[in-house]
Amino acid sequence: MNLAKVWAFAAYEVRRASARKKVLALVVITILLDTVPYYLLRTSRLSVVPPTDYPYLWVTGVFVLQGFFFPFIALLISAGSMSEEYEQGTAEVLLSKPVSRDEFLCGKFLGGFILMSVVIILNSILTVCAATFAFGPQLALQVLPLVALAQAFSSLVFLSVAFLSGELIRRSSLSYIVASAVFFTSYIVGLYLRVIFEFTGDPLYQTFSLYLPTTPVSSLPLLLGQSQLPASAVSILQALGVATAEKSALFSVALIAVYALCAFGAARTYFNRVDVSKKVT
Amino acid sequence: MDELVRFDGAAKDYGTKTIGPLSFSVARGSIVGFLGPNGAGKSTSIRLMLGLMRPSYGEVRLRGLDPVKHHSRALQEVGYSPELPNLQTFLSPVELLTLVGKELSIDAHELKERIPRLLETIGIAAYSDTKIGKLSKGMVQRLSVAQALLGSPSLLILDEPMIGIDPAGVVHFRELFRGFVSGGGTIVMSSHIMSEVESLCSSVMLIHSGRIVSKGTIKDFIESSLGGRTVRVELGPHDDSLLGKIRAIAGVLRVGASEGGLDVAVEKGRDLRGEISKEVVGSGVDLLSIGFSRSEFDDAYVSATRSEVD
Repeated sequence: MNLAKVWAFAAYEVRRASARKKVLALVVITILLDTVPYYLLRTSRLSVVPPTDYPYLWVTGVFVLQGFFFPFIALLISAGSMSEEYEQGTAEVLLSKPVSRDEFLCGKFLGGFILMSVVIILNSILTVCAATFAFGPQLALQVLPLVALAQAFSSLVFLSVAFLSGELIRRSSLSYIVASAVFFTSYIVGLYLRVIFEFTGDPLYQTFSLYLPTTPVSSLPLLLGQSQLPASAVSILQALGVATAEKSALFSVALIAVYALCAFGAARTYFNRVDVSKKVT
Repeated sequence: MDELVRFDGAAKDYGTKTIGPLSFSVARGSIVGFLGPNGAGKSTSIRLMLGLMRPSYGEVRLRGLDPVKHHSRALQEVGYSPELPNLQTFLSPVELLTLVGKELSIDAHELKERIPRLLETIGIAAYSDTKIGKLSKGMVQRLSVAQALLGSPSLLILDEPMIGIDPAGVVHFRELFRGFVSGGGTIVMSSHIMSEVESLCSSVMLIHSGRIVSKGTIKDFIESSLGGRTVRVELGPHDDSLLGKIRAIAGVLRVGASEGGLDVAVEKGRDLRGEISKEVVGSGVDLLSIGFSRSEFDDAYVSATRSEVD
């Protein structure tokens, strides 16, 4: 595989996805979600936040969005990655050149991952800036790179699920719906299983919930970050209801890797065996 | 390698219809025109050639290689311009050509020199930084040909290259393609514009309902479809006795009077323009012009496709 060509496709994918209004709208929403809550908290002078928690309020922006919002952005970036190329007929020109299908596929996926990582880094920076602006200097920021790395790694699950959906279905709207359905089903089923476990105490329900794709995605960054955060920061997260269902970071890493590799592997196998569609709409 | 493209009984089964089996080859240095009605299988043949599709059965070879299994190597030195090109609307021509250049592993420094030159040659230098989404259909078509030419290919595969291009552009492209072939290149093109095929191609292949119904030189195609050729003679004032004299020439099948002259149908394999000229001049009639009928290629196409339907 020629890495220069993979990189060229990755850069192209970043450009392509950035040009789409859906993704841009989500980035704008991310910015708003990162900044507006801090501004409101500051202006309303809520007494629910004790001054001792002020230096750790950045954890709200960094951890609250990750479980729900980041997978959703990953879906929007990745579901159209292949399907829109087929819909718009643009894959044909790119694949009629001396490039392998693997170079094209890996480049497209890498581009989506880079864009997702940029959104995560942007989220971290904005959160810290907004929290600093509203509540003064923030502390324990040394944990942030590890958390951002874990969030980027976790995003691979829904990036690859949506990528597979786009490649199999080859219609962007339908692939968004299917990939979103996977995410919401996992999210909601996970909630139900945990509630049932609380009521029945049967560990089987909890075990099931741990294997759902949403569980490691929301657990891993928190598992890695929590141990390095001071008690005040952890208490903020507990107050916000941010908790990990899974207790082992290694298990989460393994599960994320399995989901991502299986979905990407299936997309690759399909792409290498099936004809390149002509414009499909 | 003299054969750049070879199809050995290659077919694509779409379930509802099958294109093929097709067997043909394209020799280096030729301009081969793919003719056929919509849905006949021209674009499928091109997509099979490019490895964008796998044949359901049979073999396709591009530069001696399987274009699906050895895509990167087979597609080296091959330029492709698709029908109604769907290029990336969010990129500018320069950005698209830079991306294509990277796909072709062209050095960045070399690309910076080559792209402006190519855009100049193709006639869209003034729009080099305009987003493709804002370009006219003709400009996009020109850009599509530009991206096909970027890697200095030895084989150009063009699917309806003249669609949407203005007359001056058509003349320019015709010269460009001729220059490409005289420089050792080979072209496979599909077109519905018969005059383009006739003026550019050294041989044609008629595909109808997924099968090749005729292939060879344009002369062979016309002769096999029409059973001979038609010579158009433009004359000054003349009487009917001239028709009898021309009809008497060995090899003449029919003589029909038409506005300003005669249409003379001649036997397959015969070029009787010299004999007809002599007869006209010998009869004291002014010979204004003589040549093969301009419409005979169109007539041959209609005849060939109609006979297939029948």
